[in-house]
Amino acid sequence: MTALKKLTLTEPELVQALQSKDQAVLKTLYSMYSSALYGVISRIITHTELAEDVLQETFVKIWQSAAHYDHTKGRLFTWMMNIARNLSIDKLRSKDFKNSLKNQDIENNVSFVDEQNKVTFNPDVLGVKQLVDNLKPDLQAVLDLVYYKGFTHVEAAEKLDLPLGTVKTRIRLAIIELRRNFN
Amino acid sequence: MSVENLKAYIESGVLELYVLGDLSPEETLQVEEIASQNPEVRDEIAAIEQAMEQYAMQNAVEPSADVETRLFKNLGLSEVEENVNVQPEPIYTEEPRIIRLDGSDAKVRTLRYALVACIALLVVSTAALFITYNKLNAAHDQIASLNLDKQKFAGVVSKLEFENQGLDNMAAMADSKEWATIRMAGQAFSPASKMKVYWNKKDKSVLINYVAMDLPKTDAEHQYQLWALVNGKPVSLGVFGKTDSTNNEALVKMQTIQEAQAFAVTLEPMGGSVNPTMDKLTVMGGV
Repeated sequence: MTALKKLTLTEPELVQALQSKDQAVLKTLYSMYSSALYGVISRIITHTELAEDVLQETFVKIWQSAAHYDHTKGRLFTWMMNIARNLSIDKLRSKDFKNSLKNQDIENNVSFVDEQNKVTFNPDVLGVKQLVDNLKPDLQAVLDLVYYKGFTHVEAAEKLDLPLGTVKTRIRLAIIELRRNFN
Repeated sequence: MSVENLKAYIESGVLELYVLGDLSPEETLQVEEIASQNPEVRDEIAAIEQAMEQYAMQNAVEPSADVETRLFKNLGLSEVEENVNVQPEPIYTEEPRIIRLDGSDAKVRTLRYALVACIALLVVSTAALFITYNKLNAAHDQIASLNLDKQKFAGVVSKLEFENQGLDNMAAMADSKEWATIRMAGQAFSPASKMKVYWNKKDKSVLINYVAMDLPKTDAEHQYQLWALVNGKPVSLGVFGKTDSTNNEALVKMQTIQEAQAFAVTLEPMGGSVNPTMDKLTVMGGV
């Protein structure tokens, strides 16, 4: 059903229904955002079963901690995306995950994940991927790490052997580039 | 915060890290504090958020369908639940009972209607049967009366046939040269009687015609006997008389007689007599 017709509500409607524990809204929320959140999760965790587990955990957490969401501090999607990212990173660093990937360390994971991700891109998002590819390589490297791999900017700075300030600037420039392309 | 400082703060990239959730709790609180005081910061955060959201939307990947099923199962939420107003539990447990009672009520009502319909049908059927019975009786009466009529007409027809035969014969005899007609007149025993007898001149046969006779009715023990007087002696030519109703022949052939001077009829006991009973001489006529 949801695959045929995406249910949509405005963000204030969603938030209000979610915070009053309206069960129906979770369905709507899932219909609207599950694929976007899964896009984020599945780039951090390429193992399908684990990624789907994280997606499930994400919605459980959204449902359970909806009361903690404060709309004055940001958009609902940002809040949800950060739940998804944090849960993904937690999973990535958990014993569970490492066991399932035969004790590969994070850095090995990065290249592994990267290769896997190229396969999972669907034709609808090729334009965006291309857009990111068209970023200057130094900008793209930073965005890849913090957005796709779930790196913190500190970890990215270590990985790329750059000062923290430079990493932060490059993240900003990359996002400005995205903003320009979307607007 | 001065305009220059604000600009530097925005350009430091801390807001992007804020949106990406990549700040410590202290730094996060600081950004929120500054954002609450500066619309420019709020706008910048909103723009970054929108870009990240659109980016995520554009890079969406559809999860397999059973994730949703498992999720709603895990949360203990009914998966097909679409309506906003969820009824509390007791109403759900009560509802089926009400429906069941409604259902049986409807059944009773239906049965009641069926009963009324049956009674109505019975009344109509009885009325129809009664009318049909009356019509049948009337038809039986009519058939009986028609049968009576038919018998009457059959009787009339047979009588007419009988008379017609006799009359035909009378006409034929009158025209014929072959047959002699002897008229016999009533005698003392029955003066009003009369009768004709036909005698064939060639073969000497004798015929009588019931139509051409007018004799008193005989009782059950008696019948008429025809005689020929030959040289003064009576010779029996046989008995006659309509004792048998099935006999529809108007003409009766009697015994032949070679010669005779006169014919006579007497009333005799059943089967006839050897000699005529002269006091019961009914008609007589000479040749």
